[in-house]
Amino acid sequence: MTEPVISFDDLSVSFPTDDGMVRAVRNVSFDVEPGEVMAVVGESGSGKSVTALAAMRLHPGSAEITGEIRFGGRDLLGIGEKEMRRVRGNGIAMIFQDPMTALNPVMKVGAQIAEMVLIHDDVSKKEAWTRAADLLESVGVPEPGRRVKQYPHEFSGGMRQRAMIAMAIANGPDLLIADEPTTALDVTIQAQVLEVMKTAQEATGAAILLITHDLGVVAGIADRVVVMYGGRVFESGSADQVFYRSQNPYTRGLMSSIPRLDAPKGERLIPIPGTPPNVLNPPSGCAFGPRCTFASDSCHESHAELMSVGFDGTHRSRCHKLAELPDLFAAAETR
Amino acid sequence: MFAYAARRILATIPLLIVATLGLFALESSVRDPVAELRVSCPRCDQVAFDRLIDLYDLDKPVLDLSNPAESRYVAWLGNVITGDFGSSTSQGENPVSDTVFTRAKNTMILAIPAFFVIASLATFLGVFSAVRQYSKTDYAITGLSFLGIAMPTFFFGLFLQVFWGIWFHDWFGMRPFFTSQMHDDSFVDLLKSITLPIVTLTLVVVATESRFIRASMLEVVHSDYIRTARAKGLSERKVIFKHALRNAMIPVVTIWALDFSALLGGSVVTESIFSWPGLGPLLLTAIFAADVNMVMAIILLISVLAIGFNLIADLLYGVLDPRIRIS
Repeated sequence: MTEPVISFDDLSVSFPTDDGMVRAVRNVSFDVEPGEVMAVVGESGSGKSVTALAAMRLHPGSAEITGEIRFGGRDLLGIGEKEMRRVRGNGIAMIFQDPMTALNPVMKVGAQIAEMVLIHDDVSKKEAWTRAADLLESVGVPEPGRRVKQYPHEFSGGMRQRAMIAMAIANGPDLLIADEPTTALDVTIQAQVLEVMKTAQEATGAAILLITHDLGVVAGIADRVVVMYGGRVFESGSADQVFYRSQNPYTRGLMSSIPRLDAPKGERLIPIPGTPPNVLNPPSGCAFGPRCTFASDSCHESHAELMSVGFDGTHRSRCHKLAELPDLFAAAETR
Repeated sequence: MFAYAARRILATIPLLIVATLGLFALESSVRDPVAELRVSCPRCDQVAFDRLIDLYDLDKPVLDLSNPAESRYVAWLGNVITGDFGSSTSQGENPVSDTVFTRAKNTMILAIPAFFVIASLATFLGVFSAVRQYSKTDYAITGLSFLGIAMPTFFFGLFLQVFWGIWFHDWFGMRPFFTSQMHDDSFVDLLKSITLPIVTLTLVVVATESRFIRASMLEVVHSDYIRTARAKGLSERKVIFKHALRNAMIPVVTIWALDFSALLGGSVVTESIFSWPGLGPLLLTAIFAADVNMVMAIILLISVLAIGFNLIADLLYGVLDPRIRIS
């Protein structure tokens, strides 16, 4: 068995606010294996982005953070700032949500990519610029020699996200964290950008940690999936397990609320009732309890543990009613 | 870029005409043009006053569209275009342009060093305050800024005079505010004379500018591209100075242009308090003496400065921000 690229072990992140502590991430544990695409799925406030930022140690300074994030044989939460800077952009690189705002508007695109090279590699400025042009070409930006000299506002949204990807893979990172990389883009561009990410991953062998709320994106690219809700992992497993053999009412709810091409004709979308839990005052017991159609009294008293389902231990789910779920789902289908 | 600048300059001409015309009308309509003389020379008779009014055409309308040649504004404008601002009625009948030129030079001696002190100090305080947001230093800078914004200029001027001139005049063995004349021969003398006025100007302007720079910097520091810069593994120093500062300075350029043009136009309060022979006190006396030619010349200078520096700010915008550069 190979060593995971990164392991989150019992990670908790809390923010002090005027109204009390917000426990954004609660005891989250999962690994990302080399070369795989791991998707973290959840709605706003589920803690998925905070988890990703914690891996880069870019979470707000006021946050209280416990647990471990192991990367390259050490705990990233325990190393000094200087050592962490060597990890950022080199061992772990990040692609952000909105390419329109994630690039510095007053610096040439080439300069921004070359800077990434120069921080971590001892090369000449000229060499770094040549690499920048090569990188732009590798992510499918036409005329890279001319494009490096342009400013971000001269790039379209899709081209900017390609430039972000070029920047992220500049130093051949082991892990690429993509935080909602396609959310701000047109649907037609989304597919292209995902394709570019996939190609870049194949070229560099990097693992990808994909943070998204878009199940369509996950289905297209992910090997494994972690579903988060209310700061906790609710279900984890291979993409097939989570998509087609989900053992969690929340994941089920997510699936039935998105349109699918293979759905029977006339089938209606079923939204999840209610709103995501209040982060300051989460419900007692299971965080999804108040919105869950299968919830009973025990669900409101305590939260369930993450349990293995199936035989090989790869598929895990958090639900009090785990044993009854197949029957409950079947009953719901026929209703 | 050149055509853009030329267009901008041409567009200022109607602006200048409206500004001077309005002031001309105000200045010469609200007052009896010889009121000062009536008070200061009780024995003068009406014949003398009438001669003065006739000499300066004070009885003619400011602007008479039916007979433009008869209007004072058109006559004034015609002369101004040829560089003749007329003679002063309050400054010993000297040509207005000579007096304004000397006074403007004096004002520049204060304004130029003051601007550089203000710009660098405000940038330092604003950036520092933003980077250390909500720290004790930030609160201290914020508190002092509000004090600077809230207190009137004359308070600082008078306070500095009392402080260094009376309470602690032994410290440097100087009484800076006693220097009321220019001492061109000695640089040290000059330095003594300009230090306190410059400090006064600095206190007031830095207070507002540093707040503005802090706000601009905070907005930039919390933007996505700064997070990107951090995610690259850049040191915090480089993140601030290489990525944040230039973006934060784009809106500040406008403030600098306005403040610098205001300083060059002469500060009435500061220069008057320190008896500095600049444009500020000159404007004040000219207004009180209903010296229309003088007032018009200074107002025109202030307008040209404001418009000119705004233009410079716009051009600098283009240099700093590629998004608005005209191709």
